[in-house]
Amino acid sequence: MAQNVAQDTATDDAPHQSFAARHRNLLLGLTSVVLFFAAWQAVFLVVPFNKLFISKPDLIAAGLFDLIRSGALFRDLAVSAVPFFYGLVAATVVGVALGVVMGWRTRVGWALDPLMTVFYASPLVALSPLIVIFLGVGLAAKTLIIFFLSVFPFVFNAYAGVRAVDPLLINVVRSLGGREIDLYLKVIVPSVLPYVVAGARIAVGRALIGVLVGEFFAASEGIGYAIARFGDLFALDKMFACIIVIMVIAVALTEGIRWAERAAFPWRAGQ
Amino acid sequence: MTDTLRTDAPAESLTAPARSLWRQIEPAALGMGSIVLLLVIWEALPHLMTLGAGTKMYFTTPSRVGATLWNMMVTGTLWEPLGVSAAGFGIGLLLSIAVGLPLGVLLGRSRTLNAMFDPFITAFNATPRLVFLPLLMLWFGLGVWSKVVIVFIGALFPILINTYEGVRNADRLLINVVRSFGASEWDVARLVVVPNALPYIIAGLRLAIGRAVLGVVVAEFFGAEQGLGVVMVQAASRYQVDVVFAGLVVFAVLSLIMTGLVRLLEDRLSRWRPQRLGE
Repeated sequence: MAQNVAQDTATDDAPHQSFAARHRNLLLGLTSVVLFFAAWQAVFLVVPFNKLFISKPDLIAAGLFDLIRSGALFRDLAVSAVPFFYGLVAATVVGVALGVVMGWRTRVGWALDPLMTVFYASPLVALSPLIVIFLGVGLAAKTLIIFFLSVFPFVFNAYAGVRAVDPLLINVVRSLGGREIDLYLKVIVPSVLPYVVAGARIAVGRALIGVLVGEFFAASEGIGYAIARFGDLFALDKMFACIIVIMVIAVALTEGIRWAERAAFPWRAGQ
Repeated sequence: MTDTLRTDAPAESLTAPARSLWRQIEPAALGMGSIVLLLVIWEALPHLMTLGAGTKMYFTTPSRVGATLWNMMVTGTLWEPLGVSAAGFGIGLLLSIAVGLPLGVLLGRSRTLNAMFDPFITAFNATPRLVFLPLLMLWFGLGVWSKVVIVFIGALFPILINTYEGVRNADRLLINVVRSFGASEWDVARLVVVPNALPYIIAGLRLAIGRAVLGVVVAEFFGAEQGLGVVMVQAASRYQVDVVFAGLVVFAVLSLIMTGLVRLLEDRLSRWRPQRLGE
């Protein structure tokens, strides 16, 4: 899928251009962000400001500072990070294992592909009320929701990765007397890894949805709960501050993985 | 990436017709078989082992889900909430196409605009849109509009980004030819860029549908008074597990049908072009 808008910065730039020309895209991007916040701040010089309906950047910054200083922000983030981590690790382990077996054993792939597609296509979020009722409000329910949401990108990407393995390499290992375990370690894992990392990028986004779903439903702490509570309290400055924090985390995670992809598997850059 | 997975059965021509027939249907048979097996085990589970009284409250079987679904269809309790959900889905998706398509073409044609919009697209695309729901509920209330906006934000980016990628991959030679014959920017877009980007746009639409369905469900779970998602949440709190599963089945089937139709359209539209459609 083509998610990488930022991919094609002009790579054919000559090395000895001026600073402005070389970093044109970055500068334009920064300018537009600054302009956006300036316009947001300035529009309330003309339009009457209603703090129950909208906030503005200086109040949001103050609210954010407040949340950081009181430690509430980090407490909430720490609470949300635990199920996020558990769910994602479980999804990685189960998803990759399942995907690899599906890709490696053709018949297992045939048998499970439609089933997995049905699961992936159905909005499994819809089961979260049941999960919450069944497991109660807490870590287990949140972890399970996050697991269900983020496991399928791993399954499908590991599956695709194994099927993209070069049969020639497999035959070489076999001819030279390699065992099944050698095949997995020397051929399959190295060629599947890029796919898995790409799947992780998608899974991280879905896991974040899981955190929010779990915490909107029923929770007494966590960053999703904080957003819902500040909304109920009409504390829009703090609500916007939390939203911006989530946006920053989401961008940092997905762009971080994308950066790692480019650094670790340069031959796949641009995919 | 995740959505380019089509299992191709090795269509070998064998001499024994029965064997070759089995070869052809084996993938489908195994696939259906595993689904049927899962349903049978699920159905048989209460007969094989005794469930605790507590577990029974949350337990249902496929036959009961089917019966409930049929019942909801016959008595009409399904159609009204489904209509509300469909309206939110439809309006949101149409809006996202109406905005995403022109914006994608524009950004694909202008490097400056693209650089300026890029931070916002990256940020909004990476962020789960559910985060905006409490805010949208304050702004738009519990009616159809906060749902529409959630669907819109979710579906916008696949369409926008895929349109952009399709436009960027337009053949420069063709553009130059059309330009040499005196075409305006509008003509270039109409004659070369958009037709070339069409398969990308359709692929984006397919992703957008999935996200839009998800958007309807989550929006109705937390911020709506009517719709199939609301019915499901209320049923869950009354321990009517079969209603929850019936709703899930409806959403899943609709989502599969719509993405399947778009995939057919995709295959039809890209039949004439060489096989090099990287997504």
